[in-house]
Amino acid sequence: MEQKKSLGRIFMNGILTENPTFRLVLGCCPTMAVTTSAINGAGMGLAATFVLLFSNMVISAMRKVIPDKVRIPSFIVIICTFVTIVQLVLQAYVPSLYDSLGVFIPLIVVNCIILGRAEAFASKNPVVDSAVDGLGMGLGFTLSLTLIGCIRELIGSGSIFGIDLLGAAYQPMLLCILPAGGFLIFGLLLGIINFVGSRRRKAA
Amino acid sequence: MSLILSTAPHIRTPHSTQRLMGNVLISLLPCVAAGIYFFGWAAALVLAVSTASAVLAEFVWQKLTHKTVRINDLSAAVTGLLIGLVVTPKAPWWMVMIASFFAIIIVKQLFGGLGDNFLNPALTARAVLLASWPAIMTTHVTPVDAVTSATPLAGYSATTMDLLLGKVPGAIGETCKIAILIGLAYLLITRTIRWEIPVFVVGSAAVMSLLLGMDVLTTVLSGGLLFGAVYMATDYVTSPMKRWSTLVYSIGVGVMIVLIRKFGAYPEGVTYAIMLMNICAPLFDRMFPDRKLYGHKKEAKA
Amino acid sequence: MKATFHGGVHPAHSSKHATSSLPVRDFVSDTVQLVMNMNIGAPSAPCVKKGDHVLMGQVIGEPVGPLGVPVHASVSGEVVSVEPLPYLGEVPPMCVTIRNDFQDEWVELNPLGSVEKVDPALIIPAIKAAGITGMGGASFPTHVKLSLRPDQKCDYIIANGAECETHLTCDHRLMLEHSVRVVDGLRAAMRALNVKEGIIAIEDNKPDAIEAMTAAAKDRTGVRVQVLKTKYPQGGEKQLIEAVTGRQVPSGGLPIQCGCVVLNVATCAAIADAVIDGRPLVTRLCTVTGHVRQPANLRLRIGTITNDIIGECGGYEDEPGKIFFGGAMTGLCLPNDTMPTSKSTGGIVVFSKAEARSMEEGPCIRCGKCSEVCPMGLNPYMIKAAADADDLEKAKKLNVMDCTVCGSCSFICPARRWLTASFKIAKSNIMQQAKKAKEAAAK
Repeated sequence: MEQKKSLGRIFMNGILTENPTFRLVLGCCPTMAVTTSAINGAGMGLAATFVLLFSNMVISAMRKVIPDKVRIPSFIVIICTFVTIVQLVLQAYVPSLYDSLGVFIPLIVVNCIILGRAEAFASKNPVVDSAVDGLGMGLGFTLSLTLIGCIRELIGSGSIFGIDLLGAAYQPMLLCILPAGGFLIFGLLLGIINFVGSRRRKAA
Repeated sequence: MSLILSTAPHIRTPHSTQRLMGNVLISLLPCVAAGIYFFGWAAALVLAVSTASAVLAEFVWQKLTHKTVRINDLSAAVTGLLIGLVVTPKAPWWMVMIASFFAIIIVKQLFGGLGDNFLNPALTARAVLLASWPAIMTTHVTPVDAVTSATPLAGYSATTMDLLLGKVPGAIGETCKIAILIGLAYLLITRTIRWEIPVFVVGSAAVMSLLLGMDVLTTVLSGGLLFGAVYMATDYVTSPMKRWSTLVYSIGVGVMIVLIRKFGAYPEGVTYAIMLMNICAPLFDRMFPDRKLYGHKKEAKA
Repeated sequence: MKATFHGGVHPAHSSKHATSSLPVRDFVSDTVQLVMNMNIGAPSAPCVKKGDHVLMGQVIGEPVGPLGVPVHASVSGEVVSVEPLPYLGEVPPMCVTIRNDFQDEWVELNPLGSVEKVDPALIIPAIKAAGITGMGGASFPTHVKLSLRPDQKCDYIIANGAECETHLTCDHRLMLEHSVRVVDGLRAAMRALNVKEGIIAIEDNKPDAIEAMTAAAKDRTGVRVQVLKTKYPQGGEKQLIEAVTGRQVPSGGLPIQCGCVVLNVATCAAIADAVIDGRPLVTRLCTVTGHVRQPANLRLRIGTITNDIIGECGGYEDEPGKIFFGGAMTGLCLPNDTMPTSKSTGGIVVFSKAEARSMEEGPCIRCGKCSEVCPMGLNPYMIKAAADADDLEKAKKLNVMDCTVCGSCSFICPARRWLTASFKIAKSNIMQQAKKAKEAAAK
């Protein structure tokens, strides 16, 4: 067993130290696909956070009864349950977001962040820790997606969260809301974060 | 007496990187002249902005990252001028500037600078403009009377003579085929480029269009095919290094151009065809064996 | 038909114009300094001491080891000193300094007479006694080159008159002025090894030499002239063999493994001197050119000091920036102009400050020209990347050991990259590694 960590640290771990998008580079498929606008990024992130929080809790609670050999299928079943809940809720209350996220909501099932945390954290730690880890990771994912979404939306459409910021004269750079632009922005952000990180490490 | 000590050889060829890039710039002058003649001072402004901002971007980047400033090797100037020549004369100055910055910083410097970029910077910049502002990029003006119209590839009708002289709508440097041919001749005479790439790109495009039942002459003379074959596909950095792989690369470019024109969603395919083959160039180099080594028997290579 | 090899470059051939039409003239200075490491292998051991009076041609350095050759006094006079002298290598070799009495008194010589009549068994010992080493630059002892193992067979002896290096014209002048001696030497070597075919290979930029040698080779058994295309490094041993015979020296092997022996034309002439007159190697032709007032082809006593030679050629034109022994493609730089010449010094070239300015290395632009010109078919740009990363294993895999350090890749590189220099370093590092591994294995 690894040393007991404080809950605050576990929480910040997901947001900064092991940010799923920028540090672990996990869950890239939804990252690329849905971040064409800030609202889509945030929506996707929150949906994943919900699933992550509850699946982590349930898996952690059941970690002693799940046989090791069938743990992956068991994890998937648990995750599926929560994904279905999210899907139905979104469809019922925010149909526009549900439409724009499309197939990526059911695909949360196979999102490697969620399965990854289940396997790496929840199956080895108590319920409260796992809940905090799920929340931290989820929020880290949400923040990253929202950031990418903001940048892509601002350059590609001239607005953030649908609010026009750059005026009518701005000629949006469509590339940024195309898949190629997603890769470019993601790559540049990764580069900047690595650069800042290495600077810090050198300074420390 | 202080003598310099160094290892041999003590003499170097006069054909330095700077001289080679200078040759390319000189060979582009006919295209520049034709562009300005046909499209007026708007074209001159585009060319000036693109070249200046490319050189500026290279200078600023190398200063900021504490690298040796190498704008003297003229490679940034070549990239900048090429960008200017492949955009429409209608392109606003900020668009041209973004293209130059993108080409130099993102395509070239972020991957390690001259020699390490895997895509042609000028072409990639054009692709970015095409994807970002398709409406502006595909608005072409008819030379001389400056009426907005489609390009020959998109239904504009032109005589062969018009195509040859460049009296057709299109990008600044791509329309006048005579000017491009003069430039090609200069590049070949000064041995700046090898003849294989332009000849095989144009040749394979011609054969391909014949097979698909298109008009060969129009295929070769319209759009950016000739310009791409002479100035873009021949870029040292992004073309293969071996003879055989160069052959495959050139034919690949020619065939892809025609395929995209015939079956693709875009009327023009030169940019994407060359970029695609740029990416494949290192693979082609790996596929083909090296020149025969001296003194090694034919041994089965593991 | 003009023979040639794959690859190669065309470096400034006009550099030869200054001296190619100048007849050879003699130059004797008042002091000579004979270093003892004029051959590959162990340096010779000095066998005279300070104050001794020596005669011209007297042995002053005894051969040591299997690759040893004797060193002979190149003037008659008094030995002024026998002490180490800082020279081109890392370790200062022993050096015998002789003050010339200008009497040119020879020791007693042992001439063998006409090369066509002499007993073939006496030829190689005569070459050994004359202290002859390869005069093209590599300084490999000639008698060792000509001593074949019983399982080796030599089909061709090639007299190398390509002189593909820039600036140098002394072989050219030698072939014009002493054509018969060159053929005699070649015949002597052919008779010693019982070889039927001797080929004199000359680049087509020396039509007068081709004519002279063709005339001299007429009526001589088995000797013919082969015209070569003018291209560098046409005179490289491996390239010459490929051009003339179509054969290739196996990687890591010696020319004899493909049935060839290559001798420089100057070496041939020295062999003729040794056999016909019994004269040891004490003089050689040398081209002095570049930034000197009167470029010249000189017959020098071996061990003449550079400064004296420059003085004979009217002095420097202005302050020199670089001086090197040999041509511009492979020449060795001198740290100062007090260095004496050796048996392999075929040229002294002076560069002005402007010519000597070293060029800044730029980034590789992947033009592929280095691979195109490499006469060995290597990929210099790839080896350079490996060498820069200190990846000796990879460099070895890319066959850096086949590199002949001809300098073609560095010459042609538009980015002025120091390709040849880094291969030289990589090669010596690999050899040191192998030596260490061998020593470790021996323990």
